[in-house]
Amino acid sequence: MLVVLATAVAATGQQPPMHYRHAGQVPPGAIGSVQLQRGGPLPGYFQPVEIRAPEGAKVSIASRGQFGVARATPLEIGLLIAPVYRFKVSNIAGHEGQEVFPTIEVIDRLYPPRGQERRFPVPIEFNADDIELALDGKFVTRVVYLEDPRMALPVAEGWQDQHWFDAGPGVNAVQEADRWGRPLAIVRMGGRVPDEERGPDVYFVGGGAPFTVFRPYIERLPHERQEEEAPGPMANAPRPRIMPGGRARR
Amino acid sequence: MKGKLQIANCKLRIVNWRGCAVVALATLLLASCRSKPIAPAVPAGPMIGGLPATATTGAPPTGQEMLPPAPVGPPLPFQAHGEWSPPAIARPWPPEEYLCDGGDKGSPVAVSPNWELYGLGLEDTVAHYDSHDGRTLVAPSNRVCIYAPRFGAVRVVNGVVENEMVAQAGGVDLPQRLQKAGRVAVPISSLQRYQARGGVGTKIASAYRGRQGRGALSSALVASGFQDAFLPFEDLSAIRNGIMDQREKARLSESTQAAIVWSKDLAVQAVLNGRVAIGLTQNERTEEVFTVKDLRNSPKLRVVKVASTQSAKPGEFVDFTLRFDNLGDQPLGNIVLVDNLTTRLEYVPQSAQSSLKAVFTVEPNEGESLVLRWEIDQAVQPGEGGIVRFRCRVR
Repeated sequence: MLVVLATAVAATGQQPPMHYRHAGQVPPGAIGSVQLQRGGPLPGYFQPVEIRAPEGAKVSIASRGQFGVARATPLEIGLLIAPVYRFKVSNIAGHEGQEVFPTIEVIDRLYPPRGQERRFPVPIEFNADDIELALDGKFVTRVVYLEDPRMALPVAEGWQDQHWFDAGPGVNAVQEADRWGRPLAIVRMGGRVPDEERGPDVYFVGGGAPFTVFRPYIERLPHERQEEEAPGPMANAPRPRIMPGGRARR
Repeated sequence: MKGKLQIANCKLRIVNWRGCAVVALATLLLASCRSKPIAPAVPAGPMIGGLPATATTGAPPTGQEMLPPAPVGPPLPFQAHGEWSPPAIARPWPPEEYLCDGGDKGSPVAVSPNWELYGLGLEDTVAHYDSHDGRTLVAPSNRVCIYAPRFGAVRVVNGVVENEMVAQAGGVDLPQRLQKAGRVAVPISSLQRYQARGGVGTKIASAYRGRQGRGALSSALVASGFQDAFLPFEDLSAIRNGIMDQREKARLSESTQAAIVWSKDLAVQAVLNGRVAIGLTQNERTEEVFTVKDLRNSPKLRVVKVASTQSAKPGEFVDFTLRFDNLGDQPLGNIVLVDNLTTRLEYVPQSAQSSLKAVFTVEPNEGESLVLRWEIDQAVQPGEGGIVRFRCRVR
């Protein structure tokens, strides 16, 4: 009995300092769903995300089975935690006429001070190198994490810079990111394209989870900061029409 | 059934054939009356490739199953005021989103006779000084935390080992079972957004007055050694003249994290028959407890640290101000202020200032940042103090 107890205690002490255990290669959406089951203020929170792409590239997000308008980057949007959002990157310099279709899965959120949510979005890069690899048929997984200050790299960088490193092929990127901080989002990018002949593919485009497109954020002094206009819970949902009599009709 | 019986009666009795015909007609009408139509086995809708639109075709061609959208519940409206922390856990939370500097974490800092420091960790800010009786004492500052998240990324590239194409559906699954709507439920967490914020009013009031006592209040400092006047974020009585003002406590708590140096020793004082008494106020008891303690020959240096901002992005600058005051009853000599900068704070050269004549030196630390050190050249009399400033760039 004592031996078993001692072995258990020793095993517990040898566990790596990780936030949560995630299995290796899991389907898209699985980690976010597990995060929601942990509780806390995760469901329904639109985590501000800043999407960056190579200069000149346009990004559009899928909504209700089709891609919306192509927008310039950086693009700030609010994404729910757990759903898998599909994007289309077009107008890629050097690859005119080609497109890649990455997905973003937000698996955790930030807890900024009051009124600072928009000032600190999670930066997500559709890196030019990643796009090249995806167009070449490779599958790129990029996990964005919040760096632990105690394990911070002593490098000076600006807000637009983001340090990243390559883990070897076959490595679980989420677990690797968990070693250095708190994983926040997973970007998956491959060479798969939708089959237009087959018609709308809901599994490829996504389930149409709601999202919010923010207006460009303007830095204000503290006394100038006012409450942001609430864009509504479902910015991509149809809005009720107001009839002359003042009653809403869908 | 009843109609059939009546028909039988008609046949047996053979009474009135006309009446029986009327009854038979009514029976037929009753028998064909309003049954619920049976739903078609295949739901109506557009047919794709010979399959109904609601049919799923198993795993996609990549061989990796994509989950349906997760049950996220009804979305809540985006709120600019989304501050949240777990119950009973004080902010700053979560710690990995904050950049902290100051205090004396971990093992307490000790000073060797040749002024070498032991136990000085990253983020620590302390002052050590010599008392009148030859002792070398250490006073930590309070801790300042700035919201400054920084992000990194891990990339994994996998090549396609096998390319599988499913030309047609392998199976048909009619999703007639209940979906996971039951699990959508109510987002209980939305209630937690409106939780009461802890920590309001928990710090004892009025415990900071009179510590300067016996007329030894410090006077306002002449900023002769400064390049400019007091900065906007230094517009606090604690910084300008070293007096803790009750009205400023909220602002100080906002920008700094009150440390033991404020709450433990700076209690209300009274003089009873020539001896100094400290009044302690406790929430649990209705009466006051007076502890008589002789504070003569008790050197005391207080160090208060404030930052110019509460949040910063990588690449932005943050100004720090350290105010030190002699709260004891004897002159203090060899005052040395040491700030061991954390990895993500990069000292801006030539930005150090001091209101008193001091020797400023820097040396690298284990976090690939710097240890800042001010050696004050003059003794500081009771009730007097000084200010040092420096600027950092957030990495």
